[in-house]
Amino acid sequence: MVTLLKEWYEKIKEAQSVESLEEIRISVFGKKGVLAIEFAKMKTAPNEEKAQIAKDLNTHKSGLMNEFTARKITLQTLELQEAMKAEAIDVSLYSTSSQAGGLHPVMETMDRIVEYFSSMNFAVKTGNMVEDDFNNFEALNLPKYHPARDMQDTFYFKDELLLRTHTSPVQIRTMMQTQPPIRMIAPGAVFRRDYDLTHTPMFHQVEGLLVDEAGKVSFANLKYILEDFLKYMFGDIQVRFRPSFFPFTEPSAEVDISCVFCQGKGCRVCSKTGWLEVLGCGIVDPNVFEAVKYKNVSGYAFGLGVERFAMLIHQIGDLRSLFEGDIKLLEQFQ
Amino acid sequence: MIVTKSWLNEWIDLTNITTEDLCKTLNAIGLEVDSVTSYDIPKKIIFGRVIECEKHPDADKLNVCQVDIGSSVRQIVCGASNVRAGLDVVVATIGATMPSGLVIKPVKLRGVSSEGMICSASEIGLPDFSPGIMELDSSIGSFELGEELHSNFIFSDDVIEIELTANRGDCLSINGVARDLSAAYDRPLRKHKRDEDDDNRKGIGRLLHVNHEKDLDVNLNYRVLELKDLKLPLIMKLRLAQIGEERDTDIDALLLYTTHMSGVILRAYSYAFFCEENDVIAKVNLKEDENGFASIASETIASVVGVNQEDVSRVTYDEGTILLEASYIPPDIISKKMALTKLEAGPDYYRTSRGSEPDLCVGIADGLELIQAYSSSSIFTGSIGVGSVYDNTLISLTKQDVDETIGADISKVTIGKILKNLGFDMSRSSADNFVVGVPRYRHDIVNKQDIIEEIVRMVGIDNIPSKAFVFTEENKLQDDYFSYKKKSVFRHRAASCGFFESIHFVFDEKRVLEKFGFATIKEELELLNPIVQTLDTLRTTLMTGLLKAASLNVKSGYKQVKLFEIGSIFNADREESLKMAMLFSGDKEKESLRNTGKPQKIDFAMFSQKVSDIIGAFDLRETTTEHSLSHIYQAAEIVVNDEVIGELFRVHPEVEKEYDLDVTFICEIDFEKIPFALKTAKKSSKYQSSNRDLSIIIPQDMKFETIKSVIDKNASKELINFYPVDKYSDENLGDKVSLSLRFILQSDDKTLEEEDITSSMDTILNALDKELGIGLR
Repeated sequence: MVTLLKEWYEKIKEAQSVESLEEIRISVFGKKGVLAIEFAKMKTAPNEEKAQIAKDLNTHKSGLMNEFTARKITLQTLELQEAMKAEAIDVSLYSTSSQAGGLHPVMETMDRIVEYFSSMNFAVKTGNMVEDDFNNFEALNLPKYHPARDMQDTFYFKDELLLRTHTSPVQIRTMMQTQPPIRMIAPGAVFRRDYDLTHTPMFHQVEGLLVDEAGKVSFANLKYILEDFLKYMFGDIQVRFRPSFFPFTEPSAEVDISCVFCQGKGCRVCSKTGWLEVLGCGIVDPNVFEAVKYKNVSGYAFGLGVERFAMLIHQIGDLRSLFEGDIKLLEQFQ
Repeated sequence: MIVTKSWLNEWIDLTNITTEDLCKTLNAIGLEVDSVTSYDIPKKIIFGRVIECEKHPDADKLNVCQVDIGSSVRQIVCGASNVRAGLDVVVATIGATMPSGLVIKPVKLRGVSSEGMICSASEIGLPDFSPGIMELDSSIGSFELGEELHSNFIFSDDVIEIELTANRGDCLSINGVARDLSAAYDRPLRKHKRDEDDDNRKGIGRLLHVNHEKDLDVNLNYRVLELKDLKLPLIMKLRLAQIGEERDTDIDALLLYTTHMSGVILRAYSYAFFCEENDVIAKVNLKEDENGFASIASETIASVVGVNQEDVSRVTYDEGTILLEASYIPPDIISKKMALTKLEAGPDYYRTSRGSEPDLCVGIADGLELIQAYSSSSIFTGSIGVGSVYDNTLISLTKQDVDETIGADISKVTIGKILKNLGFDMSRSSADNFVVGVPRYRHDIVNKQDIIEEIVRMVGIDNIPSKAFVFTEENKLQDDYFSYKKKSVFRHRAASCGFFESIHFVFDEKRVLEKFGFATIKEELELLNPIVQTLDTLRTTLMTGLLKAASLNVKSGYKQVKLFEIGSIFNADREESLKMAMLFSGDKEKESLRNTGKPQKIDFAMFSQKVSDIIGAFDLRETTTEHSLSHIYQAAEIVVNDEVIGELFRVHPEVEKEYDLDVTFICEIDFEKIPFALKTAKKSSKYQSSNRDLSIIIPQDMKFETIKSVIDKNASKELINFYPVDKYSDENLGDKVSLSLRFILQSDDKTLEEEDITSSMDTILNALDKELGIGLR
């Protein structure tokens, strides 16, 4: 009897599939299986041996069951692995480029600029592109015949209105509508009659204005925020202020950053100077406050070209490509 | 404005100041350095003298010269036609490396040995200002034979181009730039001769009468001279070439040189032009011409002050009497007149419109000195001047004014010194108050701020400490910020739905807009001065720009183009409004394993799905667009809350062809009308929802919107949504089609029973039958 059962241990161990194991299970544990036959034989065994036989049989029953369970787990695992192997794919085939679109680098740059000044408690103000002479020029201390008007060749309409040459008219309109203190930026498209490799008839500006009580706003304040802003935009750079001239500010300055391409060593982009001009700024000219009928105030103003920022930050070489919906360029900003 | 370091050094002592430092200082005081060109003459190029010059025995055009180079005499063969004995020349000696890379070696030229080369200006790297070899003269200062040119700072000079701001006409001269540097370095200007009136007026009085009708706001000064043997010296030729200028006659070139140096506008006139027939006295009339300009005239106009000179009054002879004129006209007057009546402006107008030097004596003195030095002309004594006396503008300010604007403590001594060095009259100042007399050449300075700007320039902005501004907090997140934010939200959504953001000029081509039937700006409101014909009007749609961009992308090989733009357009009345437009052209997706490399083309269903993924749910209604960009049978208006907010369509096949595009869809939406309010959550039912699908047979041309409106009208309150899921046709259906609709029903109060659903469906089916004559398959 024992020998017979021992054979089954071997058979379970050697079973090669879940199906053959199942056949073995039926042969061993089934209603007509070997165990059932052996237990049936007990009826005819002498009474004094019955206890021992039962004990032996039960030991083998659980022994075989353990063997069977262990083998079943092994075989199932193997079969699952086989099944998964059959489902193997070449994952490297599916390396993919994104199907997402992307934001325009100029607009994305504008967003970052707006984000900075919003967090510094500047209001965002916008206005119309079609403007009048007063808001675009006169009120900004640019009377007719001022030589500085040459600097901004203007698009005029037949009814003497014009396309704004900067976003400064938004500042004038804001000052006319509200009372100081004012902290605002005006982002938007502006227009100059210039079209070549480095100029487009439309580009984007962000201009800022701060107005407060007389004697309160100084050039030192202007320096502080612009240095901080430029470091936020460009990272670890040097900032340099050069006195300059704008009709609407006085004193005025142009702001340079150390060249982001050569770290100030001098290269083609910075014309070997090591510096890149990025901003204009100054203390608001009293004539501007007079034009909007503000009394006893002081203020600063600044303005920048968004395209220039975007081109420097993202190292874009061709200005015109920014206005052509060129996917070759845009898909790099996915 | 172009200056050279050696030229500046004639006006201010620049000893121990490197060119680098000079440029840094110019930048720091607001005279932006545009470029620096350093002329570095190579070693072994020296001064020499031709002591003998004979024809080459075997070559007509060559000369054999004996050249004294100090230490020895060398034989050099020279091909220049102007070589001759006695001439001082530049010699490249054996071993010299020329700027061209040529190394000078002993050679034989047609059998004659030559040890060196006599050089032209361009051969040693200078601008090419005269033909042949360079003829040296005393104008470059003293030199020893054999001495290297390298150490002569007229030749080894640095040419600095300054980008001047529009207000700084006073720096359009060497004199003016030196004056600014004098304040920056706190070094005095070198003394320059002034041509003061002398008592003896006999000379000029017999030769010239100046008449003027009325005060024309101009200053003039005249001298008369007998011009003779004027020969432009090397230094003038060289410097004029360095500043990129030339003139037809030597006298005009000399006067230009003087103007560039002094800032004073100078002109030479033919004396005879002002003499009437047989008259020996010249009569100059200063009068107002028909356009209101101050003009100088005899019988006819000789010149317009500050604008131009007529050719008939020019000096065209080398020997004879000439009239020398220095003039000044205030820049605001001349630029205002020119804006009203455009005259053809001469080369001086750039200076006069920005402010030339008003101190005429400086220019006259320099001009006469140069004429005397480089000609054998004789100058008649005395001068005749016209013009009013100028009183300095007075501006008073305090140290506090300066400190508050700058935000730093600037000492009174510093303030005083800066203003004095800039030539301002400080004599009226008191202990508490600066009273600043502004000289006439600084016409740009009219108020306190202008004076403070001068102090900022000279103190240096880099020396002002940065200080954070202290302010009162205020909520700034309002109106315009929210529209900016809304734009930003929809831009991000469009990008995540696969579209690339593009920006186009707000200009468009009127012809194209008209061709496609778009509204255009009314003629009386049109652009007056468009920049090119293809951008000759303001755009009235974003769609033409997107089509053009799509076309460019297809040409560069893209089979799928997805673009969007949010931007301003204008209506016929030129009123601005904001639109959002999307374009999808070509393949639905990129070629990939998924679509076995053959992606389908974009279709109406997918495009409208994409658009609604971006702007939210909407209904589409059949429409006919006003323009002709759209496919006639695939055009819809986009409806949200019963309001039309835009249009969506397939591009007309002819237009697709014109732009080289595959199947293309476009939509344009009123950006302001895209819903963007804060959402309110609705109470949702706790009970299970049920679906019911119905297939109804409808005529082929029946629109879903017709069916939809009937269902909407007859829907029970349990019907929470329904939508088409299949459209099917086959032979058995004939000219009808089968449309399958999915209905979703749900109640707030209970789980719906079969009879509730059936009753809802029956109501709808009855209505469809009654109103449209359609029913179940």
